[in-house]
Amino acid sequence: MRTYLFPGLLAVAALYLMLRLAAHLEIVRASLGAVFVLFDLAALALAYLGARTWRSQWATLALAVYTLVVLAGQVAPIHLAGLPLVMVFLVYATVRHRIPERDAAAFWGWVFVWPALGLMLTWNVFPSFFALWISLFDRFNFIGESRFVGLLNYRILWHDPLFWRALSNTFWYVMLTVPTGILLGTVVAVLLNERIRGLRLFRTIYFLPYITALTAAAAVWQWIYHPEFGFLNWLLGTPGFDWLHTPNGIFALALEPFGVKLSGFWAGPSVAFTAIMAMTVWHFLGYNVVILLAGLQSIPAQYYEAAELDGAGWWQKQRYITWPLLSPTTFFLAIIGLIGAFQVFTQVYVMTPTGGVLNDTLTVAMYLYNKGFRDSDFSYASALAVTMFVIILALTLLQRQVLERRVTYEH
Amino acid sequence: MSTRRKRGSLPGRLLIYLVLTAGAVVMAFPFYWMLATSVKSPQEAQQVAPIWLPQRIHPSNWATAARLGAEGGGRWWGGFQPGRTVRLHIEVEDPAAGVPRVRVPKPPAVFSDPRSESTTIEVVPTEDGWTIELTNEGDQTFTKLPLVVWMPKEASRFRAELPPDAVRSQRNYWRLEWENVSPGVFGYVFHNYREAWHAAPFGRYFYVSFVTAGLQVAGGLLIATMAAFAFARIRFPGRETLFLLFVATMMIPGEVLLIPNYILLAKLHWLDTFYALIVPWLASVFGIFLLRQFFLSLPHDLFDAARIDGASYWGMLWRIAFPLAVPGLVTYGIFAFLGAYNALLWPLIVTQSPEMRTIQVGLQAFIGEAGSDYGQLMAASTMAILPIVIGYFFAQRQFIQGIARSGIK
Repeated sequence: MRTYLFPGLLAVAALYLMLRLAAHLEIVRASLGAVFVLFDLAALALAYLGARTWRSQWATLALAVYTLVVLAGQVAPIHLAGLPLVMVFLVYATVRHRIPERDAAAFWGWVFVWPALGLMLTWNVFPSFFALWISLFDRFNFIGESRFVGLLNYRILWHDPLFWRALSNTFWYVMLTVPTGILLGTVVAVLLNERIRGLRLFRTIYFLPYITALTAAAAVWQWIYHPEFGFLNWLLGTPGFDWLHTPNGIFALALEPFGVKLSGFWAGPSVAFTAIMAMTVWHFLGYNVVILLAGLQSIPAQYYEAAELDGAGWWQKQRYITWPLLSPTTFFLAIIGLIGAFQVFTQVYVMTPTGGVLNDTLTVAMYLYNKGFRDSDFSYASALAVTMFVIILALTLLQRQVLERRVTYEH
Repeated sequence: MSTRRKRGSLPGRLLIYLVLTAGAVVMAFPFYWMLATSVKSPQEAQQVAPIWLPQRIHPSNWATAARLGAEGGGRWWGGFQPGRTVRLHIEVEDPAAGVPRVRVPKPPAVFSDPRSESTTIEVVPTEDGWTIELTNEGDQTFTKLPLVVWMPKEASRFRAELPPDAVRSQRNYWRLEWENVSPGVFGYVFHNYREAWHAAPFGRYFYVSFVTAGLQVAGGLLIATMAAFAFARIRFPGRETLFLLFVATMMIPGEVLLIPNYILLAKLHWLDTFYALIVPWLASVFGIFLLRQFFLSLPHDLFDAARIDGASYWGMLWRIAFPLAVPGLVTYGIFAFLGAYNALLWPLIVTQSPEMRTIQVGLQAFIGEAGSDYGQLMAASTMAILPIVIGYFFAQRQFIQGIARSGIK
């Protein structure tokens, strides 16, 4: 029981400080009386137990100050909001020679964790719930009063053609970039692992795009794709072709000569979006290569030696040893790739700032940005964000279900 | 390890090199293209057939650029100082065709241009052509000296000492344009860089980026080290639950946090300040996770012995764990720096004034403003990636090991 004294005192003091600051800066406007009553009760109980456990005059005095400030709640001056925290340290300083090792560990463990925990709560945990909360309002912004509308934003979202457009674009983006990146990365990594000369040079070159900023890389590719003076049009002999402003779907274009007409979702990503995808695969390939190379190097050589003794050829070794034993790495890349690809923003925003012709390059993240920061409709943007979160979560779980069964973890 | 495996057959190995080299060419080409374009004049950049080696990287032109620069101001960065005379020689096949017309162009839409007004122009005939003598009669120093020369077409072939940046046909004349005839070596090669640097406050952008990334790394390291040490080496109640909570927050995509954190920053009146760029990113679960793994890999006895000797946890953290964890700290530091330096979305949202733009936001704005001057645009892009690329070449092993380490487990 007494092991929890210091963590408890620290938690009450830290949360009290955070809440006081939040109330003082008018970040939280709801009445907080009930919460402060909870703090009062906790502080009283903890101080009483502490005074009885430690039986030190100075510790008791410090605990008294601690309790008084917390009891004063919102009445205490804001400058004293940090005092309880100081008092906990004072208590520890006075009793530290007399307490068992476990209590000291409990104190220092929480002291070390609280800076990170406080920041996480402020900038990650509470905001997530806040996003959910404001998505239930009608046009939440700084201008006017907003009213609670329940799930209305989600219902609008369901019937929003632009959302579906963005979602299907993002879907194609994920479906095409993630497998392509992993496949190309595997090929390069397997070849680099063949004890070749100049491994370092190749690795440097393949990895270089990954560390360059997407903004600059997108600017360069935009220039390569330039309709009049772009390098690509010269290379392919297609003068004047405007890669980034061609909204035709690639599947539709590919099947047109065969008399197959595709439209809507099945027309596939537009030429412009495919051009952006090519740039993205280029940018992230080095990351995949480095991770896969590390995975390859952790496969014990004995397996290959044994296979060679059994007369296995190069391809058989890749198929029956490399591929299964690399599967945990591949799986990791698939998950990371999915989560990252679903949030694609930068390169799309730089190369097609308006979302392309007929929104053919609009992604979910970009639609969210437009709704939130161009149209100042925070509620709708939050509804989008929450939906996105749910979709990513569902896809990740699905991926686990489907792919993880094929992953070989044991060497 | 794989070192014992024997090498494959010769054709197979050749094929491997062929494929890898082809891939490397594709990977490296955009960088070459960016660098090449960044030293091209607009006319060179706007050619349908690509120019592989622009004029400005021909060493033979550097000597001329240095001489012309020294005449006007300095050998490296050129300029046009009062009382100096810059002499540009143009060889022509048929000097009898007529004297070329020469002018120092005014910038568009200005009423008075001190540079063109205080420069006297003299065209002196020589054996094989003309020397254009430009003298600064005023008392102002100019950084550049642009020049336009109309050469009669009857003069047939001509060769200017310093190749003109653009040649256009204008009725009976060739119109030759120089953006700077007194450039100096650097002023010549890095013309686009200098122009881009002055076209937007890139110095300020770099400052904002470096302060942001530097403080994020420093603060992030401090906070993550403390938390990671506690998670790895201190047995405190609630540790497992708390760690699960931390890992669970990794599931939240950044997009969910954009709007609530923006609102929070607005209420704190932190928008458009360094706080907005730095504080929300200080605590990184990834960093805590990475460093925790690192602390776990250190021998347990080390800490037990220190504890028995009476070291406090605080002392253990900074005297034992911290120095031993330097490789892990470098890994996380590189990650955090890359993330902060290369970020676009977050700084785009929380900053409004040009003074608070990071380099990526500045570059993004510049892409919109530079329009069709791709030489300057590529120069700006090169500048934006340069610090990271230089760092990468110095600390390649740390970069690659760091990334590889992030993937395992």
